[in-house]
Amino acid sequence: MNAPDEPVLELVHVKKEFPLRRRLGEVIRGDHVRVHAVDDVSFKLGRGEILGLVGESGCGKTTLGRMITRLIAPTSGRIVMDGREITGTGGEEETAYRRSVQMIFQDPYASLNPRFRIRDVLEEPLLIHHIGASRAERMRLIEKVMEKVKMIPVRDYLDRHPHMLSGGQRQRIATARTLILSPRVIVADEPVSMIDLSTRAEILHMMKAVQQEMELSLLYITHDISTARYFTHRIAVMYLGRIVEIGATDEVIESPRHPYTRALIEAVCEPVPGRVQRLRELPIRGEIPSAAAIPDGCRFHPRCVFARPECADMTEPELEAVGPGHYAACRRLKEI
Amino acid sequence: MREFWKEFTKIRTGLVGLGILIAFVVLAVIGPSIVPFPSAIDHWRDISFWQDNPQAAPPVWINALPWTGKRGVVSSLLEHPGYSEVKEESGVKVRKYVFAYRYDSDLPPRDLVVRFQGQGQVPLDISLRRPDGLDAPLYREQLDIAEGVLQRVSIGRNCARQVIEFVRAHNEDLAAGLDPDLIKPVSILFSKLDPSMPDSPAALKGAYTITVTALLLNDQFAFQAPSIVVSGHVSGILGTDLSKRDVFTGIVVGIRWALIIGILTSILTVFVGVVLGVCAAYFGGAVDWLLNRLYEFVYLLPVLPFLIVISAIFKPTIWTLIVIICLFFWTGPYKPVYSMALQIREETYVEASRALGARPGRVIFRHILPLLLPYSFAVMALSVPAVIVYEASVSLLGLGDSTIVTWGQILHDALGQGAVINNLWWWVVPPGLMIALMGMSFAFLGTALDRILHPRLKTR
Amino acid sequence: MSAPLLVVRDLKLHYFTSKGIVHAVDGVSFEIAAGETFGLVGESGSGKTSCATALLNIPAPPGRIVGGSILLEGAEITGMSDRDLRRRVRWSRISMVFQGAMNSLTPVYTIRALMAETCREHAGNEHLDTAGTEQLMRRYIGLVGLPAHVLDRYPHELSGGMKQRVAIAIALFLEPELVIMDEPTTALDVVVQAQILNLIKELKHRLNLSYLFITHDLAVEAEVADRIMVMYAGKAAEIATNEQIFGERGPLHPYTRLLLDATPRLHDAAHELAFIPGAPPDLIDPPQGCRFAARCPWARQKCRLQEPPMATIEDGHHVACWKAMKDGEYERS
Repeated sequence: MNAPDEPVLELVHVKKEFPLRRRLGEVIRGDHVRVHAVDDVSFKLGRGEILGLVGESGCGKTTLGRMITRLIAPTSGRIVMDGREITGTGGEEETAYRRSVQMIFQDPYASLNPRFRIRDVLEEPLLIHHIGASRAERMRLIEKVMEKVKMIPVRDYLDRHPHMLSGGQRQRIATARTLILSPRVIVADEPVSMIDLSTRAEILHMMKAVQQEMELSLLYITHDISTARYFTHRIAVMYLGRIVEIGATDEVIESPRHPYTRALIEAVCEPVPGRVQRLRELPIRGEIPSAAAIPDGCRFHPRCVFARPECADMTEPELEAVGPGHYAACRRLKEI
Repeated sequence: MREFWKEFTKIRTGLVGLGILIAFVVLAVIGPSIVPFPSAIDHWRDISFWQDNPQAAPPVWINALPWTGKRGVVSSLLEHPGYSEVKEESGVKVRKYVFAYRYDSDLPPRDLVVRFQGQGQVPLDISLRRPDGLDAPLYREQLDIAEGVLQRVSIGRNCARQVIEFVRAHNEDLAAGLDPDLIKPVSILFSKLDPSMPDSPAALKGAYTITVTALLLNDQFAFQAPSIVVSGHVSGILGTDLSKRDVFTGIVVGIRWALIIGILTSILTVFVGVVLGVCAAYFGGAVDWLLNRLYEFVYLLPVLPFLIVISAIFKPTIWTLIVIICLFFWTGPYKPVYSMALQIREETYVEASRALGARPGRVIFRHILPLLLPYSFAVMALSVPAVIVYEASVSLLGLGDSTIVTWGQILHDALGQGAVINNLWWWVVPPGLMIALMGMSFAFLGTALDRILHPRLKTR
Repeated sequence: MSAPLLVVRDLKLHYFTSKGIVHAVDGVSFEIAAGETFGLVGESGSGKTSCATALLNIPAPPGRIVGGSILLEGAEITGMSDRDLRRRVRWSRISMVFQGAMNSLTPVYTIRALMAETCREHAGNEHLDTAGTEQLMRRYIGLVGLPAHVLDRYPHELSGGMKQRVAIAIALFLEPELVIMDEPTTALDVVVQAQILNLIKELKHRLNLSYLFITHDLAVEAEVADRIMVMYAGKAAEIATNEQIFGERGPLHPYTRLLLDATPRLHDAAHELAFIPGAPPDLIDPPQGCRFAARCPWARQKCRLQEPPMATIEDGHHVACWKAMKDGEYERS
């Protein structure tokens, strides 16, 4: 699937910096230490599309998700929905936006208030946005959405508390909670990483079915590129606050162009025999640097096995096309 | 609401706590009608009100205990005697009141006090008939009685000479050794007149009658409602203190104030502390900074000097005191609530709520505050006894409200006047026990409420 | 093959909770040879961590070993006293890298202090002086691929991967024969995970170690394990070699089969991700027959009534499943 022409959601040069507590010496010297969690990200999300945002810890994917759901505000850049800018808006526009963009959190044990019953959890969004004139009407909406996520029979679950449900069931409720407002975009932050392997596919399956039925756009944030393969239409790979590669899922996985993507894919373990006696060759050096001290030039160059001296000196590479709908940010694309 | 109640009845500690609290409330309401001295509330510090009570008398039920050596006289009030009235030819009415009293104890009463009201010049005659048949004339005077004023004739104080006369009439030798200033007249009246009487008198048990005869010289002069206070060694359900006040009355009357002071103050204090703590934590920024500076300021203020100044300007009532305690002690719950709210604010479900679009009010009331309830109840439960005792210490300095009676005050009087050293346990234990009981009932209530409000503690 | 390093027979570990007795490990038997990586696969609640803690007799309270035997080079260690275990077995012969070990490094001590503490706790008969301890620490820090100055650092100054290497170094310190690793790479990023797995393999050869490698991820197990035991609801479902499970024929136990199908793979475009509906049984009141019967698509009446024994289908491949035994019989004949 190519990048959509009429995107539901578009990010334009979005940045997020966090100031860091400094030691006295640094303050005196005037050093400004900032964590560049998200450092110039732009992409489009189409209608009914599932975009995977893949990266390791500290790459900024969660921060990006939180900016999209307006839990934090970007330091600079714009977030545009249906062509209308929503960064910096407040009041009614903000409330309307919140109805359209919802989030599923990683930890099913923490994202539901343990004191609430399931009916309260699902009623909360309705009450916040004044949907449903009467209790009965709200209950109807709640039952409908519970059926969508296959929590049936509904009666059995309405009066339970979260700790009486399994991890998978809780994620279903969390999904139901996002769906009840009929949003346009759902940001799912590692929705299955804390769920048992044997249930993961079930939850992803359910999410995909719902997504297709309601033509939702889904931003699937994960560090596990293997599940992304089953779930997403396109993948964006993030490194240290930037997108280094983006394209159709199968293409990025089968023909990765950016050295980081290649290293990532090389590193994944597969359930195949014959690996025990062999060491995995990883085309990558060292460890992820701190987001407060981003390397000069191409930020990946200290770890890149293909790096040349120019990679450190020249300005940071931008995303350039390597195929239809497939972009990578590397100076040496043609050579490697 | 109904399901809340259904949940609540399942938890035994909660019911115990509620039961104790209800018992307290009921006692506070019906108290004035069951105490022996109903008007004690207004007269707690009035010495004359209590003058007929025995001083530092243990409770009456210690007589029933097997290890009590000599059983003391139970203080009692002899009222509504039968009386006869004879009108003589001269127009003078002779009114004779006869009081019956059964004396079974090993120790004689401390005093007999004849109380009455009347008007005008009234000759009064008081005599005692003993079980051994001897009559003792005790008092014969002509009184000038002012209307509306309670009159008292204390046998022990006023009748020493008559008692010596009585003894002399029956046993000259015994009477010779008696000094009117040193004897205990009532003690002699109730002892056998045998040679052991001066040193170790033997109790003369049996039926006694006391006859009070008043002569009404004309219709304007009146004599009303005589009663006799038998001042004994034991008195009341909980004894008396060194100021002769009935402790039981004090305790019961104090319930109301304990409830008011305890509940009101602790609720207000915790409420203010919690609200401010949550606001500071949730809103952060300037609000946080301001409230934390306010906290530091109030926290460091010395309460007592402040109270002294206030009381020099205004006359403190219990309500002023409650307000001041709240103004100072909201800092107690503030800091822990602040740090707890800071943590709760970072919880994923709070973030989820905000992502849904919830306003700060909703997040605070539906997500943050409920988690603070267990702690709040714990603080409330623990502050109830603390506040009661604090009020007592304040009362000691003369800054308290002297128009009311509180357990703290009773306790303070007791400890201050050496009740412990003098072994007056009935004065110390009851108020302390009551304070502890009230604190306990709140603690139980708090535990039950916490279990209901925090579902994870549910064992089902 | 020489005598196995560790023999576990019919191990039972139960948790005595107020709600009842949780039969976390309910009769598990396996063997680990010297120089072998033995993989233990299971999901949450399968009993894999309990199994591991049983080997060192450090179950989380209120747990207790209630039956079975554990033989370390032929010597029974289940009955040993705590003192003897600490002096003679724990850390010196069997050590453990706990789940989330990298996060349980006490933040107020330097790495040097943490490692020195382990040395003191378990040195037992050998008394090393400060210089000797220092030398030993440097050697192992180097062995796990860390520079010597890490010894002077505090845990929060190190990355996740570095902390995990430190945890491994601490486990190797007293030169044990068997190292139990409980989910050593689960919390790590994919690249770091690959590096740590490489390290684990290298160390195995250099120090001739045996591993008990516990994980819920079959793909990771495929990477390191010579033989694998799959646990479900407190019992062993299947024990087989790497090739037998991940090779052509595939696993024989339905649970392993389904678990393998549920494991995502990057390069098999045709593969559909499977899932297993339902949930594991209650371990306080486990079902009568095969514990997986309720979720098994091939379950028959017999499976629900009678618990299948662990049977040998072929050399090195053991399954506890009525269907597998039936299928196996067909194969052999």
